[in-house]
Amino acid sequence: LVLVLSPLPRLRGLLQHCWGRLERSLLPGFSGSQSPPWGPALAVQAPAFLPEPGSDLRESNEAPSLFDSILWMAAPKKRRTIEVNRCRRRHPSKLIKVKRNIDVCPECGNLKLKHVLCGYCYAKVKAETRLIRIEIGKKEGGPFNAPTVETVVLYDGEKPSQKDEGKRIIERARKRPSWFVQN
Amino acid sequence: SGGSWVRGILSWAQPERWLASGSLLPLSSIHTSTSLQKLGKWEKKNRIVYPPQLPGEPRRPAEIYHCRREIKYSHEKMWYLAKLIKGMSIDQALAQLEFNDKKGAKVIKEVLLEAQEMAVRNHNVEFKSNLHIAESLTGRGRYVKRIRYHGKGMFGIMKISRCHYFVKLVEGPPPPPEPPRTGFDQAKEYVQQLRSRTLVNTL
Repeated sequence: LVLVLSPLPRLRGLLQHCWGRLERSLLPGFSGSQSPPWGPALAVQAPAFLPEPGSDLRESNEAPSLFDSILWMAAPKKRRTIEVNRCRRRHPSKLIKVKRNIDVCPECGNLKLKHVLCGYCYAKVKAETRLIRIEIGKKEGGPFNAPTVETVVLYDGEKPSQKDEGKRIIERARKRPSWFVQN
Repeated sequence: SGGSWVRGILSWAQPERWLASGSLLPLSSIHTSTSLQKLGKWEKKNRIVYPPQLPGEPRRPAEIYHCRREIKYSHEKMWYLAKLIKGMSIDQALAQLEFNDKKGAKVIKEVLLEAQEMAVRNHNVEFKSNLHIAESLTGRGRYVKRIRYHGKGMFGIMKISRCHYFVKLVEGPPPPPEPPRTGFDQAKEYVQQLRSRTLVNTL
């Protein structure tokens, strides 16, 4: 399928028309009983298909519930005017409420909700945690190799203290971030 | 497989999208129209130049018009966000939009930041916080009709809706909100109306 591209606006209308015809011709894949293409998919209150003659016996044995129940289905009587629609759509309960619980994070100065962690600080911690986990992965070498001792993360120029006797040590090759307090 | 091929064709081959992209010819001698399409009325509003103010006049506050076209969102849904930030200062608007979960909130936030940047760079605004939103509107973009496949070979026609978003920033603090109309105000207006009646077609 070769489509000729052209910036001229005259050909654009022609191409759109040809495209529409192509679409319509390419999608005849509907059974013959359906309405012509672009018609509504389902009628409002009637069944989508007519019952075949063979099923008439079946229908007469059971109560004609299908046809009766159709007449009781709810349907709008009149078109809702745009004024009525606007009253419903613009009612104060549907408008977005102004949030009054926005604060400034004391650490980084970005905005945060009062009861939620600051997004920027959390992203910062998440990035560092990911790098630490990569180091842990390199040390362990594979799945199911987690040791049974605690882990300690040490940064540049830090020595394991006396308290970190039997713990596994993870080295990170950077300065200790200010928010990651030692011990 | 035929249906999936047709669906594939429809999804990526949309001639209207290709044609709208402008110059695709390799020849550089042909001067096509500007890379942006025809400028809309809102974009042209930034170009008006007022005559210089007289010494005694109060300073005219700077006005910045900005918009974004063909956002993939519904203009009815976008209207709620536009209504939220109408009349707010730009900082408050950005704060509200940051913590709103709607898809349009992110888009409007980008538009506001762009407009703020434009204001400081091009429109001689001194403080970027000293702006408020005078107008914020949405408009309907171009819709495209597509086929939505249902079960049993049924189909529906869905419309893919796009919208435009327009914003006007004005320098200065936001105006105080109007006090709501009370019954007393309405009564006063009614009495005023009665009093201002005259006799017509008489001497």
